[in-house]
Amino acid sequence: MKSVPESSPSIPSSDVSASAVAVEERLFSLVLALVSTEIGLTKAEILGAVQGYRQKFVPGGDNSSLERQFERDKDDIRELGVPLETLESPTDPGNNQALRYRISKGDYDLPADISFTPEETTLLNLAAMVWREGSLSGESRRALLKLRSLGTEGSQQLIGYAPRIRTRDAAFGPLTDALDKAVLVRFSYLKPGELNARERLVAPAAVVQHQGRWYLQAFDQKADAPRTFLLSRIVGPVVVTRTPSPQSASATAGDDALAELDEIWRTHVAHVSVRPGTDAESRLGKRRGSIRNPDGTIALHYTDLAVLADDLAAFGPEVVVISPAGLVTAVRDRLAAIIASHPDDMDAV
Amino acid sequence: MSGDQNAPGGFHHAQDKLTFLLSLVPYLIQQTQVSVSDAARHFGVSQQTIREAVLLIAVSGVPGSDSNYQHGDLFDIDWDAFDENEIIITQLVAIDDSPRFSAREASALIAGLQYLQSLPENVDSAAYSSLAAKLARGASEAPSQVIVSPAATNDSFARIGDALSRGMQLEFDYRDSKGQSEHRRVDPLRLDSDDDDWYLRAWDHSRESVRTFRLDRLDGLNVTDLPIEHRPSDVALSDSLFDTSGEHTTVVLEFRPEALGLLGEFVPEGTRVTRVGELSRASVRVAHFHGLTRLVAGLAGVARVVDPPEARRAVRQWAVDARAAYPAAPGEHPTIANA
Repeated sequence: MKSVPESSPSIPSSDVSASAVAVEERLFSLVLALVSTEIGLTKAEILGAVQGYRQKFVPGGDNSSLERQFERDKDDIRELGVPLETLESPTDPGNNQALRYRISKGDYDLPADISFTPEETTLLNLAAMVWREGSLSGESRRALLKLRSLGTEGSQQLIGYAPRIRTRDAAFGPLTDALDKAVLVRFSYLKPGELNARERLVAPAAVVQHQGRWYLQAFDQKADAPRTFLLSRIVGPVVVTRTPSPQSASATAGDDALAELDEIWRTHVAHVSVRPGTDAESRLGKRRGSIRNPDGTIALHYTDLAVLADDLAAFGPEVVVISPAGLVTAVRDRLAAIIASHPDDMDAV
Repeated sequence: MSGDQNAPGGFHHAQDKLTFLLSLVPYLIQQTQVSVSDAARHFGVSQQTIREAVLLIAVSGVPGSDSNYQHGDLFDIDWDAFDENEIIITQLVAIDDSPRFSAREASALIAGLQYLQSLPENVDSAAYSSLAAKLARGASEAPSQVIVSPAATNDSFARIGDALSRGMQLEFDYRDSKGQSEHRRVDPLRLDSDDDDWYLRAWDHSRESVRTFRLDRLDGLNVTDLPIEHRPSDVALSDSLFDTSGEHTTVVLEFRPEALGLLGEFVPEGTRVTRVGELSRASVRVAHFHGLTRLVAGLAGVARVVDPPEARRAVRQWAVDARAAYPAAPGEHPTIANA
């Protein structure tokens, strides 16, 4: 064994060896090793032989931190869509040390008949660009690298567009994560008109964006029924549990949720009057599906009364709600709340 | 050059670096021979990033039977060609095909495609669905259920798209947040979207600078027969729609922490957010109170203006004027007008 200097307080010895092999070299070597084995490798074989682990492996010694490293690496690799399998030993089932790991090449390779034309490549470039901010930016960046591995260059159309979807709601990340893992989530939800948020335990089925707002379609465990939640009404953190969802999500859950939201939007109409020559007149008149009546009033479709009330309150005196009555009340309540939270007779608190 | 991928050192996350290596290998094999510069252009990375990756691939492989890495178990390249900036892989190990997409990667692309479905005629819906099906088949697991409705577009959107592709100037009336309307003549540069809202980035001839226009504030749009004077490639456009760094009025906002995202561009990335009890506070810069007043009026119970008093009063007055149009609610005391 090589002589290791007495551990110096400034340079821990593990950091010295860790810097010798870069993380991506270790991960790359692990993928190569696991693809090329038919019967799989045991953890001991991997740690003792694969580049990046073997340098830190102590034969017969304590390798627990290296083992934890391997566990994290497995997760990181699986997250990239690499099908890393775990095989039980037929002669020694249940023994963790006898588990074998491999990557089946057939499941790793993109099917041979999948290719993309230059036009399709351009579209996919633009589709990835949509997510350049927020929770899915890493995924879209990596999807583009895989797309480029096919060697097709994009064509030059659609160059003047920079489309973007925002995932501003903090709940988006944990909810899509739970969706992938098919586990229950817990969060506090503030229904409009209620004073206090209530805790919900739900099985996520889909996360959908409808007209600029994110919704969660899920099966509520307490209500024992499907429910739709607006992400912006989730208060505080979303807890991703380890409990598998008892209800399996249908493959069309997202499209179904979107169709339902569209139907609500189509059948709900509010009437407002706008002051001529204002921002409200130009913008509300140009909303999707809005109808300008000759008397100056505008008919607006909406999905959620409280969301529309927020939008209309923003226009202040430029718009007055005529119907429905619930919307009149909602807007008036909002205006009262704004007046109350903006006193003019006291210094800033 | 800008953009993360061109930054020195290339990718920042280990997962991105690994994906890059797993993608570069099949590309190099398929190309047989490719120059460092062509590979860099294809992947949108620096030549240095390509070189480092090739050098790493060339010493990587699988451990042999005695747990050591033998020459025959490693990738190899034509080193003489590499000296001449040409990449030729001479020996392969383990992988030769493109990796599958992960479920999340595929669903990000599919949802992005759904959003783009309403974009101009270049793309038909059959092309979209066959692409989405191909992505799903190319994923290691069924893509997750993240679904996006098509972006809202209208008639002016299509005409701006036409002017953009033909390089023609546009003219229109633009009504700003103060309600003031003005005739503008611009060189269109790009159409940006932000969820359901679209913005035209353009060179404004009367302002002699780049301006951002909300599409739903634009009227009387006309595609002129004058060619543009500023090409998109000549004008640097930032990714953020509004630049508030030059504004001088500072306003203090208070909001529920989870509502930060709803404040959008008013609180640019990097703004210091402090905690006051259960609420957050941030100082933001604005050119005038009009836009801010609208924003805060749409976030009742979620956000408010704390300071300066003029800004607070502007929001208050906006709401007071609006409420005057409604009769008092039952049980509510009529407002006593201030003398």
